[in-house]
Amino acid sequence: MMQNFRTLLLKELRSFFVSPLAYVVLALVMVLNGVSFLFSVERMEGKVSQMSLLHLTFDSLWFWMVFVLLFPLITMRLFAEERKLGTLETLMTAPVQSWTVILAKYTATLIFYVILWTPSALNLLLFESISGSAAAFTAGSFWGTYTMLFMVGGFNIALGIFASALTANQLIAGVLAFAFVTLHFFIGFVQGFAGNMPAEVLDRVTYFSTVEHLRYFSNGLIDTRPLIYYVTGSALFLTFTYYVLEYRRWRP
Amino acid sequence: MIEVQDLTKIYNGKVAVDQISFEVGKGEIVGFLGPNGAGKSTTMRILTGFLSATGGSASVAGFDVYRESLEARRRIGYMPESVPLYADMRVKEYLHFRAHLKGMRGHAMRRRIGDVMDLCGLVDVRRKLIGALSKGYRQRVGLADALSNKPDLLILDEPTNGLDPNQIRQVRGLIKNLGENHTILLSTHILSEVEMTCGRVIIIDGGKIKASDSPENLVHRIESSGTITVEMKGPSNHLQKRLRGIEGVKNVTAVSKEDDWMTLELRLNGRNEIRDQIYELSVAEKWPIRQLSKRSASLEDVFVDLTSTTKRG
Repeated sequence: MMQNFRTLLLKELRSFFVSPLAYVVLALVMVLNGVSFLFSVERMEGKVSQMSLLHLTFDSLWFWMVFVLLFPLITMRLFAEERKLGTLETLMTAPVQSWTVILAKYTATLIFYVILWTPSALNLLLFESISGSAAAFTAGSFWGTYTMLFMVGGFNIALGIFASALTANQLIAGVLAFAFVTLHFFIGFVQGFAGNMPAEVLDRVTYFSTVEHLRYFSNGLIDTRPLIYYVTGSALFLTFTYYVLEYRRWRP
Repeated sequence: MIEVQDLTKIYNGKVAVDQISFEVGKGEIVGFLGPNGAGKSTTMRILTGFLSATGGSASVAGFDVYRESLEARRRIGYMPESVPLYADMRVKEYLHFRAHLKGMRGHAMRRRIGDVMDLCGLVDVRRKLIGALSKGYRQRVGLADALSNKPDLLILDEPTNGLDPNQIRQVRGLIKNLGENHTILLSTHILSEVEMTCGRVIIIDGGKIKASDSPENLVHRIESSGTITVEMKGPSNHLQKRLRGIEGVKNVTAVSKEDDWMTLELRLNGRNEIRDQIYELSVAEKWPIRQLSKRSASLEDVFVDLTSTTKRG
């Protein structure tokens, strides 16, 4: 089980880096995140700001745009391609459990996702050491932001894998993943549209809001509720993926 | 090695496999023969655990293919019909990856993959990208993968599909060699293939098993319906009537006519030799003969005889 997981994980990671897509996505994230970071630095220049540099960088339009685009791009290939090529058949008839396959693909994508955000962290650390202004952000907000990015990423990757398992067409998988990710993302903005909603409902809705979660965590505050929400959400969609894969065997 | 009991699969709303039962003993090479859509691939996919049966049971090497799927899969080397491969991997790299998945490690694995590449003639292309290989080489990579973990049972779905005649010869030779120490179940719709490679044939059509025997026995069984072709000159109606009158002739059909020369095909009832009677008829009536030949039944006749009765939509 563990051996198979390792073999599959390495193969999936390799698949990421032999395709040009990985580098395109990496470049996209670096450029847009760099722009977002630059604007944030400019906004803070010569002004007193209540918000930290981190908060500004990760709560800009630039950031959210990349964020929702990112997941379809890195997950759409995972199962759709195996289906299209027919390699799902050789894979699933090898002595490997479905769960091992799903977890290997999930973990590999998560690792790639972490690699995607590493340059942004380097930006911050570099800025701190060059400018010498330790006040730009605190360790709490740094780790809070990246913890939340990791958790939200894990959840959205699970959504994307689920979408990819549904179809043999990568484009459709990508569109589905985009729809799932944006739908979930916009739950957080319902507040802004629907002013006449009862307060209790709004409270519940805010509970799902990724934007709120990130805002909270980027202030260095750790709340266990969103953490549990994202972990269980990921588990749920990976389980759905498992059943989609198993359905193949039973389809009448 | 394989035991299948009342296996049924409903797939895409159709009965793809209809309560079939068969056994394959250790060391046998069995050919699964049937027209396209007969249920060959579906049966193989159930045996390899890719699909689950709707009813019945199947086991490989004593392991139930559903309840002990992993154990059964460990003992199977499977090559699917389209030979799916990762185009962005190199041959050796792919085979190592697959061998890893099948639980092989270290030196033993490397040596085994070396041997398998040798056997399948892949040594020269081991560093090439799979995507750049010809169909024949891809087929060999699939075969090498199926062989990599020294499986007790090889399941090959149309192993010569889409190859040119030379490549077909090579793959057949390979399969025949493998048959010396493997149990093999292969499917095909090419008749000469089973005649050449298999010790036993299972003819399947419309999801049902129509026959299961050695190619020789199957041919023997249907030999009674062998045909005689005769080309004679004489009055058409009278000629046909006289020929029909010979004992053992089931029916006579005129194939072609050229001036007064008639080419006729005689289907026989028993296994009687009637060519001398035709000669005697020719002498007595002074009807000259240009051609008189007997075609003994081939597996093709068996196949047509057994599968043409089923209507397919």
